[in-house]
Order: sequence, then structure tokens, then C-alpha cells
Amino acid sequence: MKFRGIIVFVAGVLVALGAGWAGFPRVIHQTRRQPVDFSHQIHADKAGSKCDDCHTFDAVGRFSGVPELEKCSGCHAALMGSTAEEKKFVDQYVTPNREPEWLVYARQPENVYFSHITHVKRGNLKCEKCHGDHGTSNHLRPYQEDRISGYSRDIWGTATRPAMTMDACVDCHRQSHLEHSCLDCHK
Amino acid sequence: MKQSRRNIFKFAGGAVAGAFFTPAPWRLITDTALWSESWPGIPRPVRGDVTAKFTNCGLCSAGCAIRARCVNGQPVSLAGLGGGLCPFGLTAHHLPFHPARLTQGPVEEATAAVKARGTAGLAILDLNPGRTASWTYRRAMASLKGSYLATADPVAYDLSSVRTVLSIGTPLLDGWGTPSKVFPARRNFRLIQAEALESRTAVMADQWIPLAPGTERIYAQQVLATLRGRDTSPVAAQLKANGPSVVIGDAPEVAEINRLLGAWGKSVVARAEAPAPDSWRKEAAPVTALDTLPEGSVRTLLIDESAAASYIPWDRIAPKLTADALVVTFAATKGGYVRHATYALPIAIYPEFMDDLGPAADSADPAWRISAPLVPPPAAVANLAEFAGALAGISASNTLRERAGAIHKAGLGTLTNYATGNETALKEVAAEDFWKVLSEGGAWQNVAAKRNPPEISTAPLVPAVVGAAPDLPLLAIREPAQPALVSPLMTKLYQESNLRLAPNRVALHPDEARAANLRDGARAILYTHAGRCAVQVTVDSAVPPGSVYVGSSPGIQDICSPAAHAKVVPA
Amino acid sequence: MISENKKTLAARYGMSIDVDRCNGCGSCMVACAVENNVPPANANATDRTGLTWIRVFKVDNGLEGADRRSAFIPLLCQHCGHDAPCVSVCPQQAVDIDPATGVVGQMPERCLGCRYCMTACPYHARYFNWWDPAWPAGMEKTLNPDVAPRMRGVVEKCNFCHGRWHAAKAKTAAEGNTAIDPGDYMPACVEACPTGAIQFGDLNDSSSLVARNARRAESFRLLESIGTDPKIHYRSTKAWVRDTAHPPRPGKENARG
Repeated sequence: MKFRGIIVFVAGVLVALGAGWAGFPRVIHQTRRQPVDFSHQIHADKAGSKCDDCHTFDAVGRFSGVPELEKCSGCHAALMGSTAEEKKFVDQYVTPNREPEWLVYARQPENVYFSHITHVKRGNLKCEKCHGDHGTSNHLRPYQEDRISGYSRDIWGTATRPAMTMDACVDCHRQSHLEHSCLDCHK
Repeated sequence: MKQSRRNIFKFAGGAVAGAFFTPAPWRLITDTALWSESWPGIPRPVRGDVTAKFTNCGLCSAGCAIRARCVNGQPVSLAGLGGGLCPFGLTAHHLPFHPARLTQGPVEEATAAVKARGTAGLAILDLNPGRTASWTYRRAMASLKGSYLATADPVAYDLSSVRTVLSIGTPLLDGWGTPSKVFPARRNFRLIQAEALESRTAVMADQWIPLAPGTERIYAQQVLATLRGRDTSPVAAQLKANGPSVVIGDAPEVAEINRLLGAWGKSVVARAEAPAPDSWRKEAAPVTALDTLPEGSVRTLLIDESAAASYIPWDRIAPKLTADALVVTFAATKGGYVRHATYALPIAIYPEFMDDLGPAADSADPAWRISAPLVPPPAAVANLAEFAGALAGISASNTLRERAGAIHKAGLGTLTNYATGNETALKEVAAEDFWKVLSEGGAWQNVAAKRNPPEISTAPLVPAVVGAAPDLPLLAIREPAQPALVSPLMTKLYQESNLRLAPNRVALHPDEARAANLRDGARAILYTHAGRCAVQVTVDSAVPPGSVYVGSSPGIQDICSPAAHAKVVPA
Repeated sequence: MISENKKTLAARYGMSIDVDRCNGCGSCMVACAVENNVPPANANATDRTGLTWIRVFKVDNGLEGADRRSAFIPLLCQHCGHDAPCVSVCPQQAVDIDPATGVVGQMPERCLGCRYCMTACPYHARYFNWWDPAWPAGMEKTLNPDVAPRMRGVVEKCNFCHGRWHAAKAKTAAEGNTAIDPGDYMPACVEACPTGAIQFGDLNDSSSLVARNARRAESFRLLESIGTDPKIHYRSTKAWVRDTAHPPRPGKENARG
């Protein structure tokens, strides 16, 4: 009798583990596709682009983020290669001059202030530190959006935590003794 | 296995225990925290390209040079190029979104009605004279035999070289001129402020002479008498000893005082207008003062309220109209003449309109500045210059460029480019570049122009008297005029602090408030001989007993002239 | 959240406000609201429930009639340098002092709305969001993207326009410098003041205008005797204006506790 009670309990544990590890991530995230499957690798290899050729800074250090269509159309006014994705991009976006709605993996809440220039130029961090192998990937990963919070499941790379959470920022800042005040990173 | 309550609890207990070893509860906690950060209804500011645009503030004729910080082309903050700005100018980029803004009006219906009236008894009332649009009105009225009504203040002051200034009731340091001109000059002169209330100007003055409310004119006459040598007074002695001196005020005696002080034609000059095409001058109707118009002579009145420099109480306008008069007002807000007009048509406002600025009170030299749009105007706006131009068969759509052409042809003065900060002699600028700089933020000025003394008014100087009205025990002191439409953020000053008197408020001394049984914030009725107006009460010990300090809303101005006898009773 | 490298006080930002040059126009108050996305007043808001990170108060010499004289004193967070009362009372650690700038920072997202800090603040420089922030339709387009709007139920206050500090820091990094050029960082109220009554700068830099003005004889600070070492220095040539800075009762009983 007692033994059977434990079985019931363990069954409960197993069901919860299964639901929590396998079922929950599927339920909590909805998968959205990027408008175009962009290959960073092709651009890095064939066009010889570096990250900050497209993801630029202006004179006062503002980061452009995902480049606007204008930047892409500079080269892709007509087809340059032979991939289906490029054809789709030119036909659906460049020719009708429609801005693609890129889903940004690293999008942060409104109250977060993040300055790329201070991290890259002052802190000498490599892009890979937070963005992992994003810059050398051949396909864009599906954008898994958290149904409750609305943010991406992860920001791709080999960052210390799966999503770019405040803990991940604080870990690094604490290690480099650069943790001053809340308003350093909040606005 | 038997289904028992005990087993269900055991299973549930196991599930709860197991759940702690999965990411689900921790993820849900984080998610809930993140979700709770974005409340519905809290807007997300738009991010985008940050750029700077330049223009001239179009709220008043001071016309401060403006740098607008824009995100995706939409201004998000304004700053003065030569220093700070007044609070109205700082928040002007909110005005297109003001709930009290007039956005719709029967444009076609009004046009048809005016055309059906014909041109007999036609008049245009221009509340912001000296602009290029004013020239269009005068040309249209000349061709239609109508009257052009304006109350131009013909005097400008140069404060840069004076050492003593006596201001009789003017808001000299509070919106009177461009801060970047007035405050640097302020360092070099001694300011004596004669005024009933310790106003924002009086607080910063070197000396404040408290006057009894309504006695500004009597005070001016005293100063005049002492200058003529009949008496002596410390103020007159200061004006004489510590020259050059200038007196600023509305009283008619001020002109004579300035002549005796030797300021006439030097630091007190005729307001200089920028050159205008000769053809305009030849065919322009004269400027008519409203008061000289015969009663009952206006059948059709067109009012331009764009960036109005003043509000004329309706009881001064109404007698001039015929019984069946058609009044069409071109207005930015629902608060002004819209209340009295047959038709109210919406207009573009600063920072949407493309308009030039009339000559300023603090600029002795001719200048020309355009208030160029920072945002596009809404589709359904009317424009009195084009309306009147169409009636008279004059093309009014290109007058600003014609004016710029005339200035360029004269070839005098310098052009300042706000974006680069460069100042170039006009001779070295091509006509096309001149227009481009002016319409993207710039100013033309001619400091070498000859200064002319203003015309002397021939009105006889009669002794001023303050009458008595037993039923209306208080004397009104008026808050300086402010723009007709102000940003919703001005509630910071009107409501969330008591820094400025809100337009619909009156302020009373605590004793007067107690006598009238009114508390701070109470609703009340302001009575004068001219009528009544619903107001809200502020209790302020800075208001002298026996007076009421009234806000500047058109409703109050309609019934309450400065120094009017008044009373305030609970609503 | 304060780390051990507390001693590296790179800058100690402060202000010097010339009370004699303030005419109470209110430009600083609206410029602050524009910069920091503070919403217009709720219909029910009063001077006790309003949101004004900087507020200009009118004070007078207490005399009546023609002898009465007034002055305007802009009051904002005094950015106490020592024992800031709001920091120690916060149960949420939502208030901190940035050792790199000396700015007392308020984190609305951490705030639970208990308003202890408002009670503790001797300057009444903290404000509570009694209502959901609301802008007239369309006006939300004019919000500043560098500052996040707050929600109902949290406390907020002046932080020397932190959005502008962030921008100045990014510009410094882009130019390859380490120290912020003083010309790049100026709070909105300082920029907006038409009379130039407010000056802003680094008090640690003894040659800066604020540091020099703070050393002048007519310089004073509000409630200096309670020992919070505020970084807003006022100055006035009028003795009665300087006297308004003293607490109503002298002595230690006015100190915290």
C-alpha cells in the first residue's frame, strides 16, 4: 500500500517533468518566421562584409541596429546571386520598396538602455560575446516569441544565459567591476 | 489501482514537486514580471533617426530661433538657438495634438456665404499685423474697397545701449521680447518696474515701485511732470542722471517722456519692416484702427487669429457690425472669436504653417524671418490670405517668395544660417540660396538700416482718473497676454503648481477671498460692467487687497479690460 | 546594486542656481516634462498630486504691502551626497547613488509605490504617479525615445536627464574619449532657462563654473544643517532669500529620526 503510494507520487513527478521540459517550451513560445532567410555567412564570405559595414554607428555613437532597406538596396537593386531567398527579397521588398519587418532577437524592454558603442569601442567586446555565431550563420533561426512576455526565447549566441536577461548583463558587469548604478542600463 | 482522494493528492503533490525541477515555474515568474512592465495604454516612444530641424518660433513676433530635435522627422523637443525659451515656445510641438484645437470647419459653406454677400461693408481684422499676409490683406482690401483693420504697435526698443529702463506695467522680462536679446541686454541696464503687482518682471527688477491698481497712467503723468521740472522724484532723477534711459509702457505719455529723455529716435524707434515689393505698397489699403470705423458699417468681417498678438474684446468689435453681419474667423482654437462668429474655419498653426513674422518690439533694425513648418499641416485647413486673395483676384500662394525676392533685390543686410551658424552678407548670396536658407531655418537682418523715430500720436494728454463703482469693489489687474493655444503640458504651471495663473482663473488676496466667501480652487463668477464670466479662484497673498488678478482667457478679456471694476462671487 | 568600487567618483554633478535671476517663467518645468516624458496633469491633479520633477516655488520675505518682496526658487532633487534619506528607507533598493556621477537614481520599475522615500525626502522632490500616464491623442508621437514612460503607482524624480547622459557617454565612446565633454551633457532645465539662472557641471572639477559659484559667499544650500550634503547650490545676494534655506527650527532635532 505504502509502495503503491510512492508510485503515484513518482508518476506525478514524471508527468510534471515531461510536461515542464518537453511540453512547456512548445506551449509558451510561438514560432514566427523572419521575412527573409538572411545568410550572414554569404555576406561575410562573398561580399567580404564585416559586422559594422551594415550594422553601423553614426558620428555620435548611435547604433543603427538591423539596417534599413535602403542599405540592402544599395547592392541588391537587382539580383546578385541565384538563391530563392534573394529573389524573394528583391521581388517582395526591394522592388516595391517595402521595409521588411525583421524580428529582432535581441529586442529589449522599453526601460532598458543599451549602448553598442560603449561595449564595442570602450569595452572592446567582440560581437560574438553576446551574439554568438550569428555573424557566421547560414540561416536565420526561427523567432520563438514568448507568448506572455513577448520577447525572443534567446538572442542566438553563446551568451551566458539563453535569453539576454538582466542577470546576464549583471554577471559580466560584476566580473569587470563596472556595476555602478541602475540607471547605467535603465532609462 | 483504486481511484481515491488520497492518490489524487499524492499525484498532485508529485507533480508540484516535479515541476520545480523544470524551467516552467521560473520562466513563468520572469515572464509575468516582464509582462507586468508593459501596461496597456502606456505608449512606447517611437525610436528612429534623430535629426535636427531649424525654424523661427511662430507663436509671437519675437520669433526666437529654434532647433527642433526630431525622431523620424517628428519634433520631440525644441530648444532656443541663442539660449532658453519661454514655456509656451518650448512646448509648441505639442500644439497640433491639442484637444482644444479647431480642426474642422465649413470651408465651402463659408466661402459661398462670403461671396453671396458681395464686397460692400467688407473688412479684415488682422490680429498679427506686419506679416506678408498682412500685405495680401491690404492689397485685397484695396481692390475690393474694404477696410483693413489692425492694431499695430509702431514702436520698437533697442535695449542694448541703455543704462536705465523704467517699465510701467510691461512684462519686459516675461515674454516681451526674445530672451536671447533681452537678457544679455539686461546685464547692462538698471530696471525699475512700476506695477500694481509684483510680477515676474518686478521680481527680477532692480527696483519695484508698487502702484495702486489702475494708476499706471497717473504714474506716467507724474514722471512726465517731474521731467518737465515741476516737481522732483527719485525715479525721474535716476532717469536723468543715469542715462541713456528709456521708458516702456502703454500710457500715451510715454512717448513724450522718451522725447524728453532723448531716447526718441535712438533707443525708441519706429518698428522697421523688411523691404516689400513696390507694387504691393502702391496698391495697399491703409491701416484702419478699429475704433475709428463708423458704427454698424461692417457687413462682412473676416478675422485672422493666426498667432494673434492680442485679443480685442468682442464688445469693441460688435458695435461696428451691422445687425445681419457675417463673421468668419480663421482660428486655431475653439476659445477665441469662434464663440461670436457665424463660421469658424480651422487654420494651420505653428509649427505647421509657413508664415513670416512681423517686426518685433525688441528689434530696432529691420529683420525678416520665416516660421517654416516642422510638421505637415492637416488636410482640411483654410488660409485667410488665399481666401481674401481669391476674392480679390490676387494670387496669394507665392507671396513669401516674392517678398524674399524683394529683399534680395535690395541687397542690404546679412543672412544667418541656423544650421551652420554662418552669417553672410546678402550681396554674396544667390536668390535661390537666400530662399533655401530662410525656409530651412535662417534670418535676414539689416543692422545698418537708418533708424527713424516713431510717429508721435496727436491724441491730447488728458489727466487720468480712476473712477469708483460702489457695486464692483475690486480693480482688475491683467495677466500678460499669452498664445491662444498652449501645450497640455502647461498644466504643470497652471494646475500642478501655482507658478502661473491659468487663463480661466482669477487670484484674490486672502482677505478679499474671505470676505467674498471663496476658497482656493472654488468656482466663481467674475462680474464687471461689461458682463460676467465663470472662473476659478486662486488665493494668493501677493495680490494687493482691493484688486483681482485675472487670467488672460478670451472669455475674461471680453468683459474685463485692464483696471476694470469687478467683483467675484461664488458660483 | 552598488559595487565595491564605490571610491571611483569620476564626477560629482551638481548645479548652481542664481535665485536672483529666476523670474518664475516655468520654462524649466515644462522642458523637464518634455524631456522626461512626464504626462500632462490628470484632470484631478493638484499641486499636491502633480508630477513636476523640477518645481519653481515662490517665496517671500514675510512682509506686507509695499515692503513685500518675492523670489522664485526652482526645487528639484538635491542629489544628496551623503546619507540620502530616500536611499536608506527604500525597501526595494529602487534608489541608488551612482558612484560615477553622484546622481541619486530612482528605478520606477523596481518601485512598489510605498512612498517611504517621499516621506523621507526633506525637499519634497519626489513625485508619485497617482494616475495612469495619459497624453492627448497623437501627442504620444512627441515622446522622447531616450526615456521610458512610467506607469501608475510608482515614484519618480529628477535624475539630471539621464537620457542625455547616456547620449553624451555614447558620443564620448564614439569619439574615442573617456571623459564626457561638459558641452555634451546638460539637463533640459539648464538648456531651457531663458535667463541663464541654472548652471550645471562637475563639482569635483574645481575650475568648473558650478564649483566656482558654489564657493561664492552668497552661495547656500537648502537645509544644509541636516547634513545630507546636497549637490544643488543656490545663490542670492539677498539675505532674506538665503534665510529661507534654513529649517524652521534650529538644531539637531530636524535631522532624520
